[in-house]
Amino acid sequence: MFGYYVSLALRSLRGTPVLSALMVAAIAVGVGASMTTLTLNYMMSQNALQHKDDRLYAVQLDSWAPEKAYQNDTQMPWELTYRDAQALLRSDIPSRQVAMHRWGATVSQENSELRPFTAQIRVTTRDFFALFDIPFIYGNTWHKSSDQNPTREVVLSKKTNEKLFNGENSVGRSINLNGEPFTVVGVIEHWNPTPKVYDLNNGAFKNSEEIYMPFGLHRQLQIYSWGNLNGWKSEDISNYEDLLNSHYVWVQYWVELDNEKKKHDYENFLAAYIETQKTKGYFPRPLKFGLTRPSEWLVVNEVLSDDNRILGWLSLAFLLVCVVNAVALLLAKFLRKAPEAGVRRALGASRKAIFSQHLIESGCIGLIGGVMGILLTLLGLSLIRTLQMGRLDQIASMDWVMMLAAIGLAILASLLAGIYPAWRISNTNPSVYLKTQ
Amino acid sequence: MLKMHNIRKSFRTDTIETHALRDFNLEVSEGEFVSVTGPSGSGKTTFLNIAGLLETPTGGQYLLDGQDVSGLNDRERSRLRNEKIGFIFQGFNLIPDLNLFDNIDVPLRYRGFNAKERKKRIEKSLEQVGLAARAKHLPAQLSGGQQQRVAIARALAGEPRFLLADEPTGNLDSLMARQVMELLEFINEWGTTIVMVTHDPDLARRAHRNIQIVDGQVSDLHQNALGNEAATA
Amino acid sequence: MLEIKPILSALWRNKIAALLIALQLALTLAIVSNASVIISDRKEKTARPTGIAVEDIITVNFQPVSQNYDMQTAVAADLDLIRPIPGVVEATHSNHFPLSGSGSASAYYNQPSQETGGEVANYYQVGAEFIQAMGMKLIAGRNFDPSDIQVADLTENRESSVVIVTKQFAEKLFPEGDALGKYIYGDRSSHPIEIIGIVERNLGGWVNWSKAGNAVFFPEMLIAEGNLFMRYLVRTEPGQRDSVFNQLEEKLSQRDPHRVIEMDTIENFLHKSYSRDNTMIKVLSVVIGLLTFIIALGIVGLTTFWINQRRKQIGVRRALGATRAAIGRYFLLENGMIASAGIALGMAAAQIANRMMVESYGQPQLPLPTMLSCALILLIVSLTAALVPALRAANISPATATRNV
Repeated sequence: MFGYYVSLALRSLRGTPVLSALMVAAIAVGVGASMTTLTLNYMMSQNALQHKDDRLYAVQLDSWAPEKAYQNDTQMPWELTYRDAQALLRSDIPSRQVAMHRWGATVSQENSELRPFTAQIRVTTRDFFALFDIPFIYGNTWHKSSDQNPTREVVLSKKTNEKLFNGENSVGRSINLNGEPFTVVGVIEHWNPTPKVYDLNNGAFKNSEEIYMPFGLHRQLQIYSWGNLNGWKSEDISNYEDLLNSHYVWVQYWVELDNEKKKHDYENFLAAYIETQKTKGYFPRPLKFGLTRPSEWLVVNEVLSDDNRILGWLSLAFLLVCVVNAVALLLAKFLRKAPEAGVRRALGASRKAIFSQHLIESGCIGLIGGVMGILLTLLGLSLIRTLQMGRLDQIASMDWVMMLAAIGLAILASLLAGIYPAWRISNTNPSVYLKTQ
Repeated sequence: MLKMHNIRKSFRTDTIETHALRDFNLEVSEGEFVSVTGPSGSGKTTFLNIAGLLETPTGGQYLLDGQDVSGLNDRERSRLRNEKIGFIFQGFNLIPDLNLFDNIDVPLRYRGFNAKERKKRIEKSLEQVGLAARAKHLPAQLSGGQQQRVAIARALAGEPRFLLADEPTGNLDSLMARQVMELLEFINEWGTTIVMVTHDPDLARRAHRNIQIVDGQVSDLHQNALGNEAATA
Repeated sequence: MLEIKPILSALWRNKIAALLIALQLALTLAIVSNASVIISDRKEKTARPTGIAVEDIITVNFQPVSQNYDMQTAVAADLDLIRPIPGVVEATHSNHFPLSGSGSASAYYNQPSQETGGEVANYYQVGAEFIQAMGMKLIAGRNFDPSDIQVADLTENRESSVVIVTKQFAEKLFPEGDALGKYIYGDRSSHPIEIIGIVERNLGGWVNWSKAGNAVFFPEMLIAEGNLFMRYLVRTEPGQRDSVFNQLEEKLSQRDPHRVIEMDTIENFLHKSYSRDNTMIKVLSVVIGLLTFIIALGIVGLTTFWINQRRKQIGVRRALGATRAAIGRYFLLENGMIASAGIALGMAAAQIANRMMVESYGQPQLPLPTMLSCALILLIVSLTAALVPALRAANISPATATRNV
C-alpha cells in the first residue's frame, strides 16, 4: 500500500500546487535555517582527537596571582610558564608529552626562485607527531636531545614540502628560517584538524602550522611566542633568560597517559610539584591543576560561542514556526479533501489507512522540502562564509552526515506537522461527506 | 443478511440530545431488494450509515450476514465494509482527481488484490455498466447517469453481497434514473441484496418490499400494509 | 461592534485553525523581538566611532629575511620613501595595528609602585607622527616630537617619560578631568610617565574587549632582537588608498628585497574584527524577514481556505443584505482578534525567551518599546495578509447561497 499512498500523495500535491508549494517552502526554509546553524555548530564541535579522547589530556597549572583567578573567578591560565613546562618535561609518567607554542619566521632558500615568505611555525617537543597521531611521509621527528639542546632541524607540513621541494623527499635538505640554515628531518601528511583542538587560544579555526621545530632552540633564537603572553605581576625582565624564568604563561602542554593508574600517578606528580614550588614562593593560589580530555577541552575553551548557541536555538524556534505553519496548511489541505476521505472510508478504508495515506503525503512534502532545504543550507553556509571573511571556510560546509540529517529533519518535521491533520481527517465521520448537501 | 434489533442512535450536542433512531427493528433476507422511505429527518440516513458500518449505534444489536458487528474495531468494520458492502450515493461521490479506472481501483486496493486481479475486476465491472471505453476519463467528463453507473461499477467491483443505495437517482433525470434503476434490478437478480433509501414512491414500489421510517422507527402500519399487499399479490 | 459575538462563536468552532495562527504569531513575535534587540545591540556596537580614519589607512608588516638587519636605518629609509608618494598624508611605525584583533595591554596607575587599583589599557609603541597617521584628534596638550622617540625592546621596560592617552583612559585614571600634565606609572614601577596629550578616541586593538577605548601611546620604536619585524601605518588622502596601496609594496621591496612584506588595510581589519557581529546582524535580519514572509503566506493560505469553507455562509449573509464592506470587515476583524491573542501570548513568550538569553548568553534586555513595535508590525503584517482573502470573500456573489454545490 505504501507505493499506492505515495502515488496518491504526489497526485494530491499536484492537485493543489499553490498550497503544496507553500508547505514545501515552509519546511524548506525552516530546515535551511536550522541546518545552516546546526551545520556550523556541528562542525565547530568536531573533535579530531576523538579516537584518543581517553588518553590525551591538556595540562593546566594554577600559577596565577594570589588575589584573583586568571578569568571569571575560577579559571586557570590556559598555558604554562616556560619554567613549569621544563619541570613537567622531566616526568616519565606520561608515555608522551608535548610542550609547545606558536611562532613564525621568514622562510628562504639559497639559490632559489622562491620568494621568501613568513611561515607559521610550531615550536614543540618531539612527541607532538606521535601524541596527536600524525603520520610521516618522509623521515621522522627529531631526536629527543633536540628538545633540550639547540638543534637546527625542522619537520615540514606536506604543503610546505610541496611549496619548497615540489613534494620530493626533502629529508637532509636545507631551508633558511630568519636567514639561518635548518635541516629537514621529516615531512608529515596533511593534518589540519578543525577546530584546531591542540591550540584553541590562538584562533580555534586557524590552519595548522607550516613548519615544526624543536623545543630546545629558545635560548639560541630568542623565540618569543606568537601566541598569548600573559602575566600578572611586574618582574624585572632585562634579557631573554629573565623571560624564560618569569611568571609569564605562554607554553601549551599535552600529555598522553595510558591508563587510569598513570593518570592517578601523574595527578600525584603534579600535586607534589606544585607543593614543592609553593615552598619556593611560587604558586600563591590554592593548589589546583587541570587534566582535560580533548572533548572537554573544546567545551571549556568555548569553541562554540554564545552567538552560535543563540543562532542554534533561534533556528530551531524558526523551524518550530515553520512546523506550526505546515500544520495549519496541511489541516486546510486535508480538510478540503475530506469528502474523498469519506468516500474511501465507505469503500472500505480503515481509519488507519486514511491516517497512513495522509501522513505519507506529509512525509512527501517533507522529502521535497528537505531536498530544497539542503540547497538553502548550502546558500546559507556560503552567506556565512562571505560574512566571516574566510575565517570559517572549513567550518561552513556540509558533509554527507549533515545532508542526511537535513532530509531526516525535514521528514521528521513534516511528519510531526502531519500527525494532527492526518488524525483529524481519519477521525471525521465519513457520512457527513457522503450525503449530498 | 441484515438483522437489526432494538437499534438506538442518539446525537448529543452541548445542549440537546436527539434520537435519530430508537427501538429500530429490521430484517432483510439474502437476495431481497428493500426500499426505505420516510420524511426527511426521520432517520433514513442514520439507518443507512449504521447498516453500512459508517456509524456505530448507541445501543441495540446489528447482525450483518449472521455476524454481530457491535464489538468490532474500526479495522474489522472497514474490512467487512470493503468485502461485503457496496455503496451508491445520490451525489455519486466519485473522486474527482481520479479517472474511472482509478476510482474503481480504490476499494480493490484496500481489499489487497494484486495488480492483475484488480485490472481484471475493474475492466469487468466497467464493461458491466457499459463504460469500458472511457476508463481513462475523469468523472467530470461524464454525464450524471454515466457517473452513477461508474459509482455502481465501483460498488460492484469487489463483488459485495450487500448494496446500500442512498437516493441513487436523486440527481438524475427520469430517463437516466430509469436506466440506473434497471441496472440495480439486474444486479439484484444476480443475487446481490439491495437496500435503497429513496423518497420517490414510484421507485420504492419497484422494490420487493418497502419500509417506512417515521421518527426513527420502522412504521409498523406501513410495513404491514405493504406486507399484506405482497401477500395478496 | 455587533460582530464580535458571532466571530467568537465561529472561532470557537474552528478553534484549532485559529489557535495555529495565534501560535505562529506568538512564536514569531518571541523570535523577532529578541532578534531585533540583538541586532540593535550589535549595530550600536559596530557603529561606535573608532577615533581614526578607518577608510584611509594602509598597514604594512615586514620581517627581514635575516636577523642580521639594521632595523632603525631601514625604518628611516622606508618612511622617507613612503611619505613623498602622491596621495600619502603621513606614515609612521607602530608595534601593533589598531582594530586588528592583536595588541598588548598592561595596567597603569596614578601613583608610583602600585599593584592594585590601576586601569588596564592597550599600549602602543609608535612613531612621532602616529596621531596624524591615524587621523586621530588631539583634544588637549601637545603632539609627540621626534626627539621623544626612544628605542624599546620586547622586555617591556618602559624607557619613555611621555605618553599620549585617550580621553576615556584619562577620565578613568583621573576622574577630575585634570589628566594633562599628570604622571602615570607601570605595574609596581616608580618611573613617572607624563601625560603630554589627550586624544579624543581610539578603540584600540580588540573591539570585543570590555575596556576597548582604553589606549595609551608611547613614543618608542620597538626593535625585537631575534624576532625582528616592523609595522607601518600609512594614511592617504580620502579615495587615494587603493592606488597608493598598489605602488607601496613594489616600492618597498624594490628598496630592500630581503624581507617579507604583508599589506592590508585598517578597514579590512575592522570588518574582520566585527565579522561575528555582522554575521549576527545579517543572519538575524534574514531570519526576521523569512519568518515574517512565511507566516504572512501561512495566514493568506489558511484564511483563504477558511473563507472557501464558508463560501455558502458568506453567500447567505450577502443574500440577507450584508454589504461587501461588512463581509470584508468581518474577516479582518476575525483575523485581528486571532492576531491580538497570538501577539499577547507572544509578548509573554518574548519576555521568557529574553530572560533566558540574558541569563545564559549575556544578551541585552528586551526593552518594552522594541517589543511593542515588533508586536505592532506583526499585527499589521497579519492584517495585510488577511486583507487579500478578505477582499475575495467580499466579492462572493449572493447567488452562491442559492446554488447547490
